Amino acid sequence: MTREADTLNAVRTPGFSISVGDLLRNARKLKQELVKQSNLLSIRVAILGGSTTTQVKTMLELFLLGQGIRPSFYESGFNRYSEDVLFKNPDLWNFQPDIVFIHTTWQNVLQWPELLEAENNIEGRVRQEMARFESLWEKIHAQLGALIIQNNFDLPRLRPLGNLEASEAYGRINFLMRLNAEFGKYARDHSRFFINDIHYLSAQIGLTEWLGNSYWYNFHMALSPSATMVLTRNITGIIKSIYGKSKKCLVLDLDNTLWGGVIGDDGLQNIVLGRDHPVGEAFQDFQRYVKQLQRRGIILAVCSKNDADNAKEGFSHRDSILKLEDFSVFKANWDPKPENLRATAAELNIGLDSMVFVDDNPAERALVSAELPEIAVPDVGSDVSTFAEILEREGYFEVHKIVQDDLSRAEYYNSNAQRKTSESNFRDYGEFLASLEMCAEIASFTTVYLDRITQLINKTNQFNLTTRRYTSAEIEAIAQDSSFISLYGRLSDRFGDNGLVSVLIGEVQGDTVRLDAWLMSCRVLKREMEFSMFDTLVEQCQARGIRRITGIYIPSKKNVLVAGHYASLGFRHIEQNSQGHDLWCYDVPDTYLLRSRHIRRSEELVGTASAEGAVVPSGL
Amino acid sequence: MTRREFLLEMDEILGFTPGTLQGHEKLEELEHWDSTSLITFIALADECSGASVSPAQIVNCTTVSDLLGLARVAA
Repeated sequence: MTREADTLNAVRTPGFSISVGDLLRNARKLKQELVKQSNLLSIRVAILGGSTTTQVKTMLELFLLGQGIRPSFYESGFNRYSEDVLFKNPDLWNFQPDIVFIHTTWQNVLQWPELLEAENNIEGRVRQEMARFESLWEKIHAQLGALIIQNNFDLPRLRPLGNLEASEAYGRINFLMRLNAEFGKYARDHSRFFINDIHYLSAQIGLTEWLGNSYWYNFHMALSPSATMVLTRNITGIIKSIYGKSKKCLVLDLDNTLWGGVIGDDGLQNIVLGRDHPVGEAFQDFQRYVKQLQRRGIILAVCSKNDADNAKEGFSHRDSILKLEDFSVFKANWDPKPENLRATAAELNIGLDSMVFVDDNPAERALVSAELPEIAVPDVGSDVSTFAEILEREGYFEVHKIVQDDLSRAEYYNSNAQRKTSESNFRDYGEFLASLEMCAEIASFTTVYLDRITQLINKTNQFNLTTRRYTSAEIEAIAQDSSFISLYGRLSDRFGDNGLVSVLIGEVQGDTVRLDAWLMSCRVLKREMEFSMFDTLVEQCQARGIRRITGIYIPSKKNVLVAGHYASLGFRHIEQNSQGHDLWCYDVPDTYLLRSRHIRRSEELVGTASAEGAVVPSGL
Repeated sequence: MTRREFLLEMDEILGFTPGTLQGHEKLEELEHWDSTSLITFIALADECSGASVSPAQIVNCTTVSDLLGLARVAA
């Protein structure tokens, strides 16, 4: 591989080793190459700096492009992060950022405690600093409607008070930790506010490497060049997660990946796992890390060259943290791994680019990388004690919010296996659908679901008519705007709750509603949920006197699945515009035959309508 | 690395057509002489001639030729 190709790979692969020099010297060529990608997501990012930020912008642009996101930037003047917002800099207001990144560091704190200052005075200083930042954040949210990514505070390199800096209330480190706790609390209370945790990042690489004194004194760069790279990769991870580009599934090899040894040869009792053995402890800790990912919604799968019964037996080991039921797909056989990975993606209804594959065997990693370049295959080496750290550093599974649906994801995929087993017992598909006893809750956007709605909109690619992405602020605004019809759909069946799985947004203009977004989780494909959503849409149109529904299909690499969606609902094809987008139209009839035959909507359960083939007259 | 080769690298860093920079140009008059190009120059000097240039040294440079001096590029 050439050095240039290495650099390009590094920009696309979080955690891939690259020097700042290589990155910046090739910046122009890299950018030219990366903007050639199709389906780039365009976003506007304002960088408001408490220090010099041009180098931040350059690196952030490259890393975002590497993840399929094309940013345009506004950059505040040096240390004008506060004035630009408080005095409404027209350039910033005209820029209309989607995201505001506030790049402040410990050098931007104004209210340092005095030596031996009273505790209540220091508390007052914390409140004053918070008030200063909150006034910015609130103005950005209220007037710019942008998401905010805010650095918390790193620590100064020098400690004139020694260890008292940490323990005494007037110590600077103690003070910064209190501010960080307050910043964290603000983030917990505000869904459109995200912390860029530079306190952790600086600890990770060490303060000596983090802070470049000479850069600060001469050019007011708060961070060293290598720290700036760490910073911008971390911000890229946050933005990736906001726009639904984080990975969804971790696929694991077994022998020498989840335990030491080869279970088929060594037997259950002789695999290395648990605290009785130093390496066994490392394998157990890696399992513990994987279990934590699974508990917060990452789908787990096994892909191992093994006899299936032997492989499964490994999880009955007394020291195994992971259990068989933690895995949604289990492929242990002698087929080539790329074949098993393709089958796993198909079974889970996710794209290959949503998967991360971990295997201690470099030959297997190379094979998967070569045959399935969409799958992330980190170079984990063969030392299990570093596996978790490598996964962590690469930020594949960055998450900006955990919602209830994330926690029940594994449960869903496991109950889906029961659904598939059940499917084979029926004569026809309709009988199977009826047996599921499905019930949908379809209603207008409501506050309690806004986070999940935003998450689903920004991560759904396959059943997505327009692949338009929305920020939390936009979703909140739509929810409150009566000129929109905004519907969410939840679906449950006798095997469990599938959660919030579908979203539809239409803007009403006169007697027409124009559908700007319609998407559905692939969890519930072929379950008639799209029909139920349409039934509700038509009913709402009838109730509001809307006579026409227009829809647009914007083709992408991933949404060919829904190319015929509008035709299947009886829409008329109007035209294909110059951009290749198909425009469709549906005339709302006076009487309407419900499309969904196997899903009862929750309002129907209380008797306002009947489900199958019911005719809904206009004006209800 | 020769002076000419280094100037071509600086052209690339600053977004100029190859052959633009001659050395006499004043840094403060170059549109793209900013924190990014400064870091890139330091990395370039280190890689091409093993010169360890500090930001403090760059502050004292006025022209492109001064930078070349720091990078130990022969005149």
